Amino acid sequence: MNEHLSAQTIESYADGELAAERVPETEEHLRECVACAGKLVAQLQLKRSIREVAWTMPVRPRRRFWPAVATAAAAALLVIVLVLPRRGTELADLHTTILASANPVDVISTDRHTVKPWFEGKLPFSFPIPELGPTPFRLAGGRVVYVHEQPVAYLMVTKGAHKISLFVGRDVAAPRTDAFESVAWSKGGLRYVAIGDVAHADLEALRAAF
Amino acid sequence: MPLFASLYNYARWLTGETHEAEDLVQETYLKALRGFASFREGTNFRAWIFRILRNTFLTSRTGLRATAMQPIEDDDQFVADGDPETIFLHHANAEELRRAILELPLEFREVLLLADMENMSYREISEALSIPVGTVTSRLTRARAKVRRRIQEKR
Repeated sequence: MNEHLSAQTIESYADGELAAERVPETEEHLRECVACAGKLVAQLQLKRSIREVAWTMPVRPRRRFWPAVATAAAAALLVIVLVLPRRGTELADLHTTILASANPVDVISTDRHTVKPWFEGKLPFSFPIPELGPTPFRLAGGRVVYVHEQPVAYLMVTKGAHKISLFVGRDVAAPRTDAFESVAWSKGGLRYVAIGDVAHADLEALRAAF
Repeated sequence: MPLFASLYNYARWLTGETHEAEDLVQETYLKALRGFASFREGTNFRAWIFRILRNTFLTSRTGLRATAMQPIEDDDQFVADGDPETIFLHHANAEELRRAILELPLEFREVLLLADMENMSYREISEALSIPVGTVTSRLTRARAKVRRRIQEKR
């Protein structure tokens, strides 16, 4: 018979933590040695008793706990609403400000081959501007704006007499406002938000064009 | 809410009372939500959230008292072999055992509960408590020895 198993070996084995290569010899010893097997049984009994006792501390919380949990959940939701999408009225405000400006855009062109290169070096990202020819939309120009201290591309797109603002950035979200229609989407790792006083379907059509 | 029963039960064993355990779990969830960004994908979520609960507890009034009262390394004699075969714990009074666990110094109580109540692996416990695996093993051995001794004393 081999030497008896150490207390540490028995304990690790009971915890299912004994190194795999040591398991066969340990089990072989346990089959033959009553003393070690007895220690293992005692170890397993202790584990089981502790487990049973540990879970018999009543888990029923007092009644006042649930409003507290609800408050915590509500607070968590607030965190999610406020922090994660960072929705505000910023983009709607920018839309209004830009349209009211005498110089709404810095690059004035209906040609995407003029507007796209203009953004180069001004933004930490690039994005495609599609050919709008076959759509009812026309490009009017663009500029760089700042939202949450981050540079965001601004494109002005027209549909007839209506002007639509299209914001493209890493962290822009549709504004919470009833004043304008807006549509937001993600593409190529960037967020797009279109805002305007046109029908929702028009913004969806613009989204499809991009 | 994930792991609610486990966290709440664990919190009760740490604090020893209901009211504080409730606050502790609540604060843990809030911290977890706020700090979710710091959770690294692919690491153990359970160990992570238990670590938050524990760190929150350690900075609470009860936690500070619990750590202040005990030297970090236990100085009483470690009995290597508690003669386990002489103990038939299924005959032991559950109340005695419960008391024995509650009376364990915090550093031993937590490893014992995570191992036997939560069935965590040594690796998980080491993550949850931010201690090396070797320390988990030795504390666990000593925790069990203390419980055994305590029950034997009662005989």
